Amino acid sequence: MAKGKILIIDDDPDIALATRLCLEQADYEVVEARSSTEGLAKVKAENPSLIILDVMMESTTAGFQTALALRSRDPNSAYAAYSQIPIIMLTSIHQTTPLRFGPEEDYLPVDDFIDKPVDPDVLIRKVEGLLAR
Amino acid sequence: MQGLTTNAGLLRAFSSHDIASNSTRLILTRWAAGVMVLLATVVCVHGLRLPLPEAPLYAVGLIILAYNAIVFYWQMRRIPPLTEADAETHIRRLVLVQVGLDWLSMTIFLHLTGGITSPAVSFFFIHVVIVTVMLPAYAPIYAALAIAMLGGLALLEAQGALPHYTVLPGVPADLHTNGFFVLAQIIFLGTGLVATVFIASGIMHRLRQRELHIAALLQTAQDVNSTLEMTPTLEHLARNAAEALAVRGASIRLLDATRENLNLVAFFGLSQSYLDKGPVSLRHSELDRRVLANQAVIICDPMQDRRLQYPQEIAAEGIQSMLVAPIISRHRPLGVLRVYSESQRCFTEEDAEFLTAIAQQGATAIENALAHEQLSEADQERAQFVRAVTHELRAPVTGAQSLMRVMLRGMAGDLSDQQKDILRRLEGRLDSLLALINDLLSFAASKAVDMHQPPHPTPLNAILGSIRERYALQAEEKGLVFKFDLPATPLTVRSNEDGLIRIFDNLVGNAIKYTPAPGHVTVRVAHDADNVIVTVADTGIGIPEDVLEHLGQEFFRAPNAKEAGISGTGLGLAIVRQLVDYFGGAFHVESKLNEGSTFTITLPLTTGPETASA
Repeated sequence: MAKGKILIIDDDPDIALATRLCLEQADYEVVEARSSTEGLAKVKAENPSLIILDVMMESTTAGFQTALALRSRDPNSAYAAYSQIPIIMLTSIHQTTPLRFGPEEDYLPVDDFIDKPVDPDVLIRKVEGLLAR
Repeated sequence: MQGLTTNAGLLRAFSSHDIASNSTRLILTRWAAGVMVLLATVVCVHGLRLPLPEAPLYAVGLIILAYNAIVFYWQMRRIPPLTEADAETHIRRLVLVQVGLDWLSMTIFLHLTGGITSPAVSFFFIHVVIVTVMLPAYAPIYAALAIAMLGGLALLEAQGALPHYTVLPGVPADLHTNGFFVLAQIIFLGTGLVATVFIASGIMHRLRQRELHIAALLQTAQDVNSTLEMTPTLEHLARNAAEALAVRGASIRLLDATRENLNLVAFFGLSQSYLDKGPVSLRHSELDRRVLANQAVIICDPMQDRRLQYPQEIAAEGIQSMLVAPIISRHRPLGVLRVYSESQRCFTEEDAEFLTAIAQQGATAIENALAHEQLSEADQERAQFVRAVTHELRAPVTGAQSLMRVMLRGMAGDLSDQQKDILRRLEGRLDSLLALINDLLSFAASKAVDMHQPPHPTPLNAILGSIRERYALQAEEKGLVFKFDLPATPLTVRSNEDGLIRIFDNLVGNAIKYTPAPGHVTVRVAHDADNVIVTVADTGIGIPEDVLEHLGQEFFRAPNAKEAGISGTGLGLAIVRQLVDYFGGAFHVESKLNEGSTFTITLPLTTGPETASA
């Protein structure tokens, strides 16, 4: 029995594979999506216990917008049922700063960040930390 | 708003200063006049033995000197602490009093030296010129008063109501009762005085106008140089032009991209309904076509002028005449500057020359603003390009690194020792490549940082916190003692968030990188009234003293760092240095080979509002 189902939303197949291998080794079930659109559909279809989300996909801020959609404060949002799913954002070094834009500048709707390249130990530690909450 | 005082204020200061300096000169002249009256009396009575009323003349001379002393004292005492407007009122009043007293003493002096037959009658011209220069509005009154006074004096003396002094030998003693002589004297003198007032005031008027124009040009040049923003500069320019020409309003229209329409960009003193009259297009405005061919145009009768696109609206606005000057850059026509007058008097060629000069300043302002705009656009494009390249270069490397790490952990099956060794080497090469990409790109970005994120009050604590978090684990894994004390109070420094992250990322990252286990890396944050001082100290390999000065040069790396086989690009400290300079801070290194290095960064503390934005 897997410890949980994790959805990886990343358009880079190599990062997705590396992340998947780490997570499977640690006994998680992994689902992948190659774009934010596909990712949002999979959130509904799979109801994962945690989401790992890339920032730059179709657009430079696609990941950020996906997170905003998932964490919308509108109670009638299509994703209201999924707003409690923890999100880890995959970023490159220095990339967090330019992300801080949008209507509420201090509001970053994710729970944690992981710098690329993905480090297996850091990844597992952060995933387990969030799932244990 | 400094330097953008209104033209009217500037001109008032000018004219007030002008009157004050003239008044000073008048006082100086009067000292001479008083002394001359005394000396001339002595010479005429005792030298030439002329039958002058000696005592009254001495009295007149002394009275002149006495009131001059009072006026002198008054002017000295009252001017400095007054406001501009008060000073002007004060000096005007002072001049009026002086002129009045002069008028009175002149009359008495004339009476004592022969009334209508006095050779001193021509002194009136001096007085009239003085009044015209100082108080042009009072000049005709003063001329009329002078004539009336002389006529009155002649009448009183002729009828014996006042004694008459015959002072010149050979002049008939009853000349002053000769009606023909008296009338001729008064007519010639009167005509002379009126002509003098007319000529002198004409000259003064032109001089004042020139003064206004020069002041307006100066003011405009100042405005143009004080800002790179186009609209406020052009608004000041329109206002300066209207005020200097003493007319109702002004407007500036610039050609749009089609070079067919003239769009309003600045105006002064015009009604909204006039401004909303409709688009101005070259096709319908012969006036503007002519102006843009580089020729100022004067319109004296707008209602009848067929070159105008909107004659009715101009008439409805109460405009009686217009003057339009071209705004032309070195390369092409940019637009037009119009001034509108409600007065019947039409604009002159001189006005046109002046307005053309003002419009020239406008062209400079517009060119400056456009050049500035183009520069920042180019810079934005560059920054965007750097961001795109950053992503494209990093993505494949981080993908490969991620896979490599997973494989090295045996997550994709067991590996032989040799395979592991090869993968480790590959991993090392990829790590160096990523570091080089990161440094190169942040170096490129830091060169462009000024245009996008100018230094502003930036909270420091959160950034230091994230740096500490980022490196704590790395230091622990390497077996280093990592001490990083965050400041107890929230500090805000003049910088930007991205820049601060780059600075501390580099410094702390370097300290950990160049310190072998078991060593220490210590980060301390202190502050005084003006600055935050961050020190990053390590017990690492150190930097040889002879290369310390090269530290921070692009691509420079200390030889011992290279020998130790530690990868790096030599760009990190160059970035730190550049950013610290840009923020107005200071950068300092102390180091001892094989003992460690201490980097000290000083950044200006701000008390301004904290900005949470990036």
